[in-house]
Amino acid sequence: MSLLHRIQHAGDALSRKGDMPTEGRYTAGIAGEKFFRAIKDEGQFLATVCLDCDVTYMPPRLYCEECFAHLEEWVEVGSDGHVHTFTVVHHDLDEQELPEPRILAFITLDDTDGGLVHYLDEIDPEEVYLGMPVEPVLKEQEDREGSIMDIEYFRPVGGA
Amino acid sequence: MEEFVYDSKYLRRDDFEEGRVLFETWDPNAQYAWDAGVAIGRYLQELKAGRLVGRSCSACNRILIPPRMFCESCFRPTDRWIPLEDTGTVLTFSRCYVTWNMVQLEKPEIPAVIEIDGASRGMGIMHMLGEVDPDTLEIGTRVQAVWKPPEERTGSITDIAYFRPLEPLEEE
Repeated sequence: MSLLHRIQHAGDALSRKGDMPTEGRYTAGIAGEKFFRAIKDEGQFLATVCLDCDVTYMPPRLYCEECFAHLEEWVEVGSDGHVHTFTVVHHDLDEQELPEPRILAFITLDDTDGGLVHYLDEIDPEEVYLGMPVEPVLKEQEDREGSIMDIEYFRPVGGA
Repeated sequence: MEEFVYDSKYLRRDDFEEGRVLFETWDPNAQYAWDAGVAIGRYLQELKAGRLVGRSCSACNRILIPPRMFCESCFRPTDRWIPLEDTGTVLTFSRCYVTWNMVQLEKPEIPAVIEIDGASRGMGIMHMLGEVDPDTLEIGTRVQAVWKPPEERTGSITDIAYFRPLEPLEEE
């Protein structure tokens, strides 16, 4: 056997297998915390504004991406938006097939210069179009946990 | 805005457990497989068969255990597989009163480096000593491997249960 020795079958390789039990925790940060708490407690969408650059950040940022100023101007913004782009998802993150395909969209919020990635529902994928006006459906207040999933999904304005 | 959570610069365990901070959790499905490689792969297979083997380097005339395919002294491939004895000499040892996961032990475990007979001087493997009184144990004690029964071996260094003294220890 030399350095050129080759293992012919994967099963011949001697290996140790194991799991790395880990749990990730993601905190939204100072601006994200305030954003999610406003949705949870008030059903309101908050944004930050850079008055110098005339940019309204959604989701809110603590610093302006253009001038790096610390942003202290918070405003309540409307929750209506438009479909900027979308896709139809058939598998979950573990590559398991979903019971029903879901529509995932980037939705620009009308009062802001940004938007949110979220599900679209109450509509067939064939009927979605770019620029379609949409509105969020929030969970009942007692069910909200301060998560992006406190918004159940967006739907065409006025419902299906 | 810091009033929600951040009375200090750092989040503490309590902040999560008592709900002062919003957070998402996820459990990554993280698995690993550590490939033993050519040299250690053969070494482990030989352990399963109840044998210790090393690799020789013809440039420095050393016999290496654990075996490796590359001589770290000469920067060249090693040459041959060499069967070794399952006896050796205690080079150093320690008394260990805690397990790897921090459980206290009444009776200490005695990890040791054992120079294996047939390998070059100072070439040793780490293992446990057994059937030994730590108070009278000395560096230089001659030891022999106690093998698990063949049906219990898995191709692991623990196929050797422990090393025990070749001669019975003298009573104090």
